[in-house]
Amino acid sequence: MKERILIIGAVAAGTKAAAKIKRENPAAEVVVVTKDRDISYAGCGLPYFIGGLIEERKELIVKTPEDFEAATGATVWTLCEATKIYPKEKTVKIENLLTKEETLFSYDKLVIATGASPFVPPIPGRELKGVYTLRTIDDAVAIREAVDRGSAKKAVIVGGGFIGLEVAENLKDKGVEVSIVELVPHILPPFDEEMALYAQNYIQEQGVNIYTQEKVAAFEGAEGKVQRVITDQRELEADLVVLSVGVRPNTALAKEAGIEIGTTGAIKTNAFMETSIPDIYAVGDCAETKHLVTGAPAWIPMGSTANKMGRVAAINLADTGKERLPGVLGTTIVKLFKLNAGKTGLSERDAKKAGYQVETAIVPANDRAHYYPGYREIITKLIVDKKSHKVLGAQVVGEGVVDKPIDILATAITLGARVEDIEKLDLAYAPPFSMAMASTIVAASVIVNKLMGKLEGISPLELKKKLDSLQIIDTRDEGSYLIGAIPGSIHIPSGELPSRIQSLDPNKETVLVCKIGKNAYLSYLKLKALGFEKVKILDGGIRAYPFELE
Amino acid sequence: MAEILLNCKGLQCPGPIMQVFKTAKEAESGDTILVKVTDRGFAKDIQAWCKKTGNELLELNVGETEISAKILKK
Repeated sequence: MKERILIIGAVAAGTKAAAKIKRENPAAEVVVVTKDRDISYAGCGLPYFIGGLIEERKELIVKTPEDFEAATGATVWTLCEATKIYPKEKTVKIENLLTKEETLFSYDKLVIATGASPFVPPIPGRELKGVYTLRTIDDAVAIREAVDRGSAKKAVIVGGGFIGLEVAENLKDKGVEVSIVELVPHILPPFDEEMALYAQNYIQEQGVNIYTQEKVAAFEGAEGKVQRVITDQRELEADLVVLSVGVRPNTALAKEAGIEIGTTGAIKTNAFMETSIPDIYAVGDCAETKHLVTGAPAWIPMGSTANKMGRVAAINLADTGKERLPGVLGTTIVKLFKLNAGKTGLSERDAKKAGYQVETAIVPANDRAHYYPGYREIITKLIVDKKSHKVLGAQVVGEGVVDKPIDILATAITLGARVEDIEKLDLAYAPPFSMAMASTIVAASVIVNKLMGKLEGISPLELKKKLDSLQIIDTRDEGSYLIGAIPGSIHIPSGELPSRIQSLDPNKETVLVCKIGKNAYLSYLKLKALGFEKVKILDGGIRAYPFELE
Repeated sequence: MAEILLNCKGLQCPGPIMQVFKTAKEAESGDTILVKVTDRGFAKDIQAWCKKTGNELLELNVGETEISAKILKK
């Protein structure tokens, strides 16, 4: 008898699994059920549909159910909801949402791909018209219609994560006045604070208001329509609210069936994407995997991971091979107006939490040769384990090319590279593509210098905290110092350092500041030679210092 | 009233602002300086510089590959 396979969920992971199973075992009967109308849609493209960059609804549909069936040989039941799994009987109860008819589907193998749903915090007024979440195409259509008919002129985005920021950009491009309210101290919560603040300053310069460490208390309105957002610190006018405070895995169906839920709150799976119950697999945003650096369970829902999970489950389930998904790094990237921000592996914060002794470097550089017109600045932060010298994580932000360095670093981390290995990588170089010493290599060199004790740095965050107790020397030229310098810093251009040494206190903790850190390093060597013991340089210099200058 | 042309293309920060600084020091009041730059940071820098020094920024064009600014020495 041919195998019957049921897949619950039909966006990325579900459709990927279905298509791959049919390729591996064409004889199998594969049925995909979804309570939605659409399948296989580009969820990550929704913000750009709101902005109009993606013009029509149909462009978001990767495949219609009919196309998908024709292409893969799987069967799709839309507007059908799986309401209960009976693992002992190996059946699933399915309700047709149009006819309300219920059927019992017997499966040999089951794939749960129920995805994740936006978290809606219990804020009073969340039911008002004009308050949206963004997960489905219908959500995006509703938001865009509100903007296009002019009934949304002032928007408040609750949550400064990727989706919130992408929506902010797209609304701003449409002429909507946009404010973002974020609960934690900075936007882009997975990033380290100084890198996130760099992006935050940039977004504010584009005219988006950002309020951090602020809690939304209520939405208020009249005649059922939202008009104001009340936070614990202010009142913001709003005729459009987008709630983007994160998503939660849809695990109710699995939980009820007795399938084990992991520590992250998502469905526990092994490397084969098997759940705790035989013949039941879980893939996509509802499923857990491992973090490749720490080995700990990880739930980092991404379209890229969902597709890989679907493929791995399909091969194991079809029994045509043994495939593993070793885990993820949480590699991620976002475009914010003309700024790009990418991250892979652990942040400094997470690395310390996980018990690592870390060394870090923040290095501004260019994405291409500085004499090649059109180059842009990018800032690289590397996080390295002091003991093993292995790279634990990286973040890159800037107007320039960011995906290349992030992908280089994601690859390196996956393969267990030490920072010394990265420093010697033979990367593609010609002026239109890279600096002769690529930004990633320069950043690795800075860390290697630090690990060898050739140089000590202080992070922008630490400097800001200790501003009043430090002797801060700005070694830049007069013009640059005049334009903006760290409050309380003394201006001594590097050339004048030897002649003005008497004015400095050699016993005081001293920080050298320049534009990117290079000049300060030269001055650092001079001061060290002159008997200054407690000298550090500002990591990333003024370019990466995200706090106020005077 | 001279118009001084300053080609700072290819120079990285702080090169362009140093050149402007030097040129402005030597220029007469009423002279204009037209500077062309490829360094992206210059757009912000020149605005801050003019504000601090009291010179007037007559024009600022930020292109994809080139930034040009016209400054009136006060």
